Amino acid sequence: MEKSKSPEESRKLLDKITFDLTRSIVKRDELTNFWYFFLIMFAAVGLWGWFIQIRDGLGVTGMRDYVSWGMYIANFVFFVAVSLIGFLLSSALHLLKINWAKPISRVAEQVAIAAVALAGIIIVMDMGRPDRLLNVFIHGRFASPILWDVTVVTTYLTISILLFYIPLIPDLALLRDKGTDDIPKWKMKVYTLLALGWKGSAEQYKLVYHAMRILMLLILPVGLSIHTVTSWLFAATLRSGWDTTILGPYFVAGAFVAGAAAVVIVMYAYRQRYNLKDYFEDLHFDYMGKLLVFVCLVYLYFNINEFLVPAYKMKTAEGIHLRNLFTGNFSVMFWLAQTFGLILPILLMLCKYFRKPLPLTIISVFVLIASWVKRYIIVIPTLEHPFLPVQNVPDHFKHYSPTSIEVMITLFSFMAALLIITVLAKMFPVITIWEYAEDKGIEKEIISEPKN
Amino acid sequence: MIKKINLIFVAILFIAQQGMGQEWLVPEDQKTLKNPTEYNLSNVKKGKDLYLTNCKSCHGDAGKNNGLPLVPPPPDVTSDIMQANTEGELFYKITNGRGGMPQFGSTISEDDRWRLVNYIRNYNPANEPVLVEAPPQKAKLLASVNETEKKVEVFAEVEGNDGKFLVLANASVSISAKKAFGNLPIGEVLTNAEGRAEYAIPKDLIGDEQGLVNVVVSLGEGFVTDPVILDAAKVGQPKQVPKLIKKEVLWSTNENVQTWLLLSYLGAVGGAWLAIAYVVFQIFKIWRVGKQQE
Repeated sequence: MEKSKSPEESRKLLDKITFDLTRSIVKRDELTNFWYFFLIMFAAVGLWGWFIQIRDGLGVTGMRDYVSWGMYIANFVFFVAVSLIGFLLSSALHLLKINWAKPISRVAEQVAIAAVALAGIIIVMDMGRPDRLLNVFIHGRFASPILWDVTVVTTYLTISILLFYIPLIPDLALLRDKGTDDIPKWKMKVYTLLALGWKGSAEQYKLVYHAMRILMLLILPVGLSIHTVTSWLFAATLRSGWDTTILGPYFVAGAFVAGAAAVVIVMYAYRQRYNLKDYFEDLHFDYMGKLLVFVCLVYLYFNINEFLVPAYKMKTAEGIHLRNLFTGNFSVMFWLAQTFGLILPILLMLCKYFRKPLPLTIISVFVLIASWVKRYIIVIPTLEHPFLPVQNVPDHFKHYSPTSIEVMITLFSFMAALLIITVLAKMFPVITIWEYAEDKGIEKEIISEPKN
Repeated sequence: MIKKINLIFVAILFIAQQGMGQEWLVPEDQKTLKNPTEYNLSNVKKGKDLYLTNCKSCHGDAGKNNGLPLVPPPPDVTSDIMQANTEGELFYKITNGRGGMPQFGSTISEDDRWRLVNYIRNYNPANEPVLVEAPPQKAKLLASVNETEKKVEVFAEVEGNDGKFLVLANASVSISAKKAFGNLPIGEVLTNAEGRAEYAIPKDLIGDEQGLVNVVVSLGEGFVTDPVILDAAKVGQPKQVPKLIKKEVLWSTNENVQTWLLLSYLGAVGGAWLAIAYVVFQIFKIWRVGKQQE
């Protein structure tokens, strides 16, 4: 925290911060319209695909008796993974009093909310009869990891929304009181409503801090569970490739990699688009690069354990699975994901130059794509090798390739996730103004004083 | 698949080569062996049953020349090639086999192999056939179950020459129980002079969970009649079905979910949502504090 400033200086600085950080809310040009059009059009194409799937049944997908979890589940695991960054950046680092992460925590929460919401939606889209969704709650079995997963995804979504909302309350009041005229009227109405009559009194701040602290503590076990339980969906079976005790931490480590990469990309987009060079500084990218390289190294360590130990033994079924990954049908995907998603990024990001904003963002794009591919080759190859020798099976049961409907629905999920992030950025400041201002040495009283 | 077919083809060729162009020589002392079993209806019938299970798949039905097209061809039992063998030769060939013809010395007992010889001899023109396949007769079969005495009561009639139905005496009636994959033979009974028969169902016959059995009563070969099916007769022992998920096991039903698992789940979920509810209450408090300060 910087030294306190004089009231005059503080007011001037606060006005500047507020002006900069409301740019995302105010700015609306051709590009904004095009971006919305782009997202909504592709999302609509995906929804049309979903309509076809509901009308004609799951037969329109490439999923058959053997591979009954296809691209959708890979996508689900990917979104759950990405969402975990909210837990790391806005809770774990916050609780460890690591200050540089503070301006990024709202970006992390945006990514977390969008990803976990889509994780829930993609599961519904994977169901042949989405109208039977309630049956999971009515007839679900307490002993089934599927029920645990549904519960933990819902809980995590709720906590993420609360953790997004509570630090937002003082900001909303600030916008309500000091917002300029170019903010649309309806947005001002929303701010007034959501600000809950915030006065900025010490008692209210105390309540906000208290609630935030509880949520940050709560999100630690829930965040860990969300991805661990997702891994149990796989690890609780006897199938080769999934039947390992390491899968829980392996998934969590991989999740941080995917999530950190996603946050870097979103950060860079805000920095360029909303001219926030002074807020998402080179320093933040440098730290995010260090964080990414750290989680990548942890993930690499788990990867070595996950593949080297069974590959050393090559048990019959495990051997078939591993050969399929190393030299068989999935070898191209496997080695591309390992090289461009893990090994090269680690080597590059160890150099300072590659932790600069643009290089880091490009690396993050590769890492993010590779982590999607990684989820794909976690789910599908194992399903193509069931244990029982079954005779006279049609060939299309044994080999899975996603159909265009599946690609369309997957496309929808990406577009919808980006749409959620965009709407959140267009609605609310992308950095917590009051926290940032306080860090710059502006008194709370000045932050909450009404417009002159 | 094509590899397998090729392999079978090569094997057949190999076996065929062994058998082709050579006389099947039987040692002199074996040629003249006497058949120790008597040539009578019972032995020929048993021989026929053995023939149907062991030989028919290659040699085909007697007299129809419908054996498999192998090289050398397996001859029909009525054929001259077959009947030209002495009884000792037939016995030797059945026992030892050659090429495509398997050896039955290790699978069929000596007496039964001789019975097979008896069956083949039934078609020898020099012999009086004891097993004559007469055209099947129309018959009527009535049956009922006496559940208290656990008996099946049968009455059978056969169509006479004048089209009238007469009492069918001394006919073999087979009793079986209908199971999921076909009928389980329980026993046979002969009708008496009045065409009636009673069959006591074995006490240890197992039915379904309630002990109900679907009894099938049918006449033996040579009669045209539908079998009588007596549905859900309470004549068997109830089937003991172990309840596989009655204990607390993983993947069990919700009624039998493991206690520790249920408590952990409810504890974790309850704890998390209580905390969430507490946070929501804090939000409410923020609103109330703001209101009070107005």
